[in-house]
Amino acid sequence: MAFPKRILAASAVIASVSLLGSACTGASKGSANDDPNDEVTITFWHGWSAPSEVKAIQQNIDAFEAAQPNIHVKVVGNITDDKINQALRAGGPNAPDVVSSFTTDNVGQFCSSNVFTDLSPFLEKSGIDPETTFPKPLLDYTQFEGDRCTLPLLSDAYGLYYNKDAFAAAGIDGPPKTLSEFEKDAVKLTKSNGDSYSQLGFMPNYHGYETTTTHYVAQWGPTYFDADGKSTVATDPAFADMLTWQKHMVETLGGYDKLEKYRTTFGDEWGAKNPFQTGQVAMAIDGEWRAGFIDDANVDFEYGVAPFPVPDDQADTYGKGYLSGTIIGIASTSDKQNAAWELVKYLTTDTDAVVSFANAIHNIPSTNAALESPDLDTNDAVKAFIGIAQNPDSNTTPASINGGAYQLTLQDLGYAVESGKQTDLQSSLEAAAQQIDTDIAQAK
Amino acid sequence: MTTDLTATTGLRAPTPAGALTSPSGRSPRRPTLEWIALHVVGISLALVFLLPFVFVALTSVMSNQQTLTRDLWPQTFEWHNLVDVWKAPGFTTWWRNTIVYATAGTTLTVVSSFPVAYALARFRFRGRSLAMGVVIATMMLPPQVVIVPMYLVWAQQFHLTGTLWPLIIPMAFGDAFTIFLLRQFLLTIPSEYVDAAKVDGCGDFKAMLYVVVPMAKPAIAAVALFQFFYCWNDYFGPQIYASENPGAWTLSYGLESFKSAHHTDWNLTMAATLMVMAPVIIVFFFAQRAFIEGVTLTGVKG
Amino acid sequence: MSTATISPARRRRGRNLARNVAFLSPWLVGTGLFFGYPLAATVYFSFTRYDGFTAPTPNGLDNWRYVFQDYPFFWPALANTVWLVVAMVTLRVIFGLSLGMLVTKVKTGAGLLRTVFYIPYLAPPVAATMAFAFLLNPGTGPVNTVLGRLGLPEPGWFNDPSWSKPALTLLALWGIGDLMVIFMAALLDVPTSQYEAAELDGAGAWARFRYITLPNISPIVLFAVVTGVIQTMQYYTQPLIAGKVASGVVGGSGQQFEPGYPEKSTLTLPQLVYNLGFQRFDTGSACVIALVLFALSMLFTALLMRRGSALLGEV
Repeated sequence: MAFPKRILAASAVIASVSLLGSACTGASKGSANDDPNDEVTITFWHGWSAPSEVKAIQQNIDAFEAAQPNIHVKVVGNITDDKINQALRAGGPNAPDVVSSFTTDNVGQFCSSNVFTDLSPFLEKSGIDPETTFPKPLLDYTQFEGDRCTLPLLSDAYGLYYNKDAFAAAGIDGPPKTLSEFEKDAVKLTKSNGDSYSQLGFMPNYHGYETTTTHYVAQWGPTYFDADGKSTVATDPAFADMLTWQKHMVETLGGYDKLEKYRTTFGDEWGAKNPFQTGQVAMAIDGEWRAGFIDDANVDFEYGVAPFPVPDDQADTYGKGYLSGTIIGIASTSDKQNAAWELVKYLTTDTDAVVSFANAIHNIPSTNAALESPDLDTNDAVKAFIGIAQNPDSNTTPASINGGAYQLTLQDLGYAVESGKQTDLQSSLEAAAQQIDTDIAQAK
Repeated sequence: MTTDLTATTGLRAPTPAGALTSPSGRSPRRPTLEWIALHVVGISLALVFLLPFVFVALTSVMSNQQTLTRDLWPQTFEWHNLVDVWKAPGFTTWWRNTIVYATAGTTLTVVSSFPVAYALARFRFRGRSLAMGVVIATMMLPPQVVIVPMYLVWAQQFHLTGTLWPLIIPMAFGDAFTIFLLRQFLLTIPSEYVDAAKVDGCGDFKAMLYVVVPMAKPAIAAVALFQFFYCWNDYFGPQIYASENPGAWTLSYGLESFKSAHHTDWNLTMAATLMVMAPVIIVFFFAQRAFIEGVTLTGVKG
Repeated sequence: MSTATISPARRRRGRNLARNVAFLSPWLVGTGLFFGYPLAATVYFSFTRYDGFTAPTPNGLDNWRYVFQDYPFFWPALANTVWLVVAMVTLRVIFGLSLGMLVTKVKTGAGLLRTVFYIPYLAPPVAATMAFAFLLNPGTGPVNTVLGRLGLPEPGWFNDPSWSKPALTLLALWGIGDLMVIFMAALLDVPTSQYEAAELDGAGAWARFRYITLPNISPIVLFAVVTGVIQTMQYYTQPLIAGKVASGVVGGSGQQFEPGYPEKSTLTLPQLVYNLGFQRFDTGSACVIALVLFALSMLFTALLMRRGSALLGEV
């Protein structure tokens, strides 16, 4: 009479059965056998959360529903990439059919794990030639090792925002073009106040919102991986040069501790108290959308936009910057893929849709036709960013099989260098390269 | 010093309910100096304990301009912040979800755990100590240990992620902590009561329901409160299961994303923080006794 | 054999078995489904390469090697846990005992004091952590404002890797209410006669504490320490929220939050399960961390059951 043993045996059986069940079936796979002309409801996930942006995407969706009355779209906003990755693996009736993400970081993960379906057959069926429809850099960052699992939905470029009033007060004529000019201007614009600042020329610390390692290093024209897919952070001088320059800026502008403390007085990046908008900093790296935020906030100063300065020995490449963008794809677990494609096609290739959405959320359009469109709002800020987006030397962070993990490794190194914890630059870069390679091998 | 002074006498049954209301009062003649010192320390510490609440409350009625400055006292009292926070998208939904999660979770946990605790306290059977060992082990188990396979099951087999069901359903299958606490209490109920009921013709289940449950009311109240607050405060569960659907967020999860999701500033964020803290404190004042009783039950043999 | 030959005792045993199973059934099913199965699956996954989407393929000890040798977060998280066990648990026990003694000695207004000391324990962890992240904001937070006015140094708190764990410790000391009540109950249980005898012998306050109070409450101290260690291994919400709020990186920007901000100083093992399992989708390695967590928790639970069985009652 072995009552507990029997129970244990029974639970072991349950356990092994469910184990085999989940291990062998995995997630249910979707299909593209649906008829896009059927009455159907598809679910669309996006990450926008600011009220004006949510309104803009909803207007875009409304226009699509008017054009395709049989397809209804259920919109879910404020979704992060972690959640996207999670839900795409889950599948099922509540999972999304169409998903957009703010960053290109995870395209490698989305494509290689097949959670996003390959869009090439759909493009072919609709007679769309991606090569002629989308600008080249955008085509690059929306695919991974030849697998086109996403398309660009508007794009982002990063440049220099500067406070014209502060420039005039400091006697500076125009935006700096090289990093040595930039350093002089930043010093001129900085007003210390005891152990803090009444105005800081520029917040160089890597946590200063958009002043990340990857955004900086774009000005040096880096390559992240060699032909074998191995990390080049230790061999491409761009990384060592950028880290050295940033550390120099930190020291020049008051030192790490003082700057970090000042940083904690900043309001939320996306709120009305963004430090550039409050005048706490006179120059900032930011994306094109910031112009819209500044205009909405009714700031009491004039601002200008220019490409971020370049290293003195690369002065001839002035005009370049870091590029990124929102991407959109179709869940491979969706069984309404043809209807989903109708929405993706509309959002990414319909010129009117792309232009009106770009105008509404102050992003850069992502098709060649939209970039040429006469309906595009062209104020000075937009023009400057379109220039950066079309500059042949502009660059982006390549897709990787484990998403943005390699960028985090680089960021970690940046923190250690800026705070002075890491002084042996070359060996720490080699360790970082090693770490990136190991992480990628683990993900394969 | 004699040996009997250092001898451990072991713990007697505690008098937890009285603990909060009846101070010990050992020595009738205490020097005034010691009295003053104790009260000075006690009162200053109490002020320090209250300060975080005070600062949160002050910040919640500041103007947006004043937050992130070094002014501690509101220049203007913006009482409307406390109203505005309710208009933030999702805030009322989070409230509703949290109440649903906490109420359903608590009810299911207590109903499903009581018979188990009763059996472990009263029935003698082989494997009982093994069962108690497993109860204690699962009680101490971090939820992260089993989360990966559990998530995959809920997501891929049942497609219930994006809802609170993966958090509520398991509570219908007993909760180790609740079972443990209830059992500790049930051990203190003399078996004569049950035996008498059985003589009267009650079966085991009826005896439990009509005799033991009424006697265990204080313990049930305590474990119900614990479970209610566990659900109310739970962050990890909703983060894993509900986060992908803003319509299923709870207060704990929503509050964390409140600032970023709505680009709100610290004054409104602190107003929301205050609103999330308030219910637990209000409930505490109504249920102080059950609370303290429950806490002592966790630490002391029943 | 006919049923008539079954002895009444045996029949009763059969009935008892049915009754026991019926009463225990919710828990038996629950333990199998929500503990037994996932634990077995975790063990299995830890030896596979699995992205949570395509079927797992066995990869031997690769995940174990990766976690222990190459995963950059593992050793920092373990070191943080040791730090927290040594500093946070110790301070919490000392502070909880001191407060317990204070509130058992104070006569006037004792009820009010106890309530004030207890309430912070009830504050939801997310809300409490957000409040502390705001109060301890190095640049503008009220705490540094007050310190600055007093001419004292202003630490970087959650923004400084050497201050982030002390800041978390402050938060944990604020929520001392649970330990205070447990110690209070234990202190009230110490027989008064022992103190009276000691006072007659002329024992001072320290001697009374050392030779009467401490031996009497030592099982409770052990209980507080061991459960404190187990809680520390589960420490998740507070360090995560503190890091997120202090880093300034917010959702919706497309920027990644770096776990353990600042500089991995707030990483704990449960965060690694989330990082590997739900951000990197390296399910196999996440399961390795989960098993490490399981082994550590069970080690201390076993300690509690061996040394503290008096506290857990007859098991």
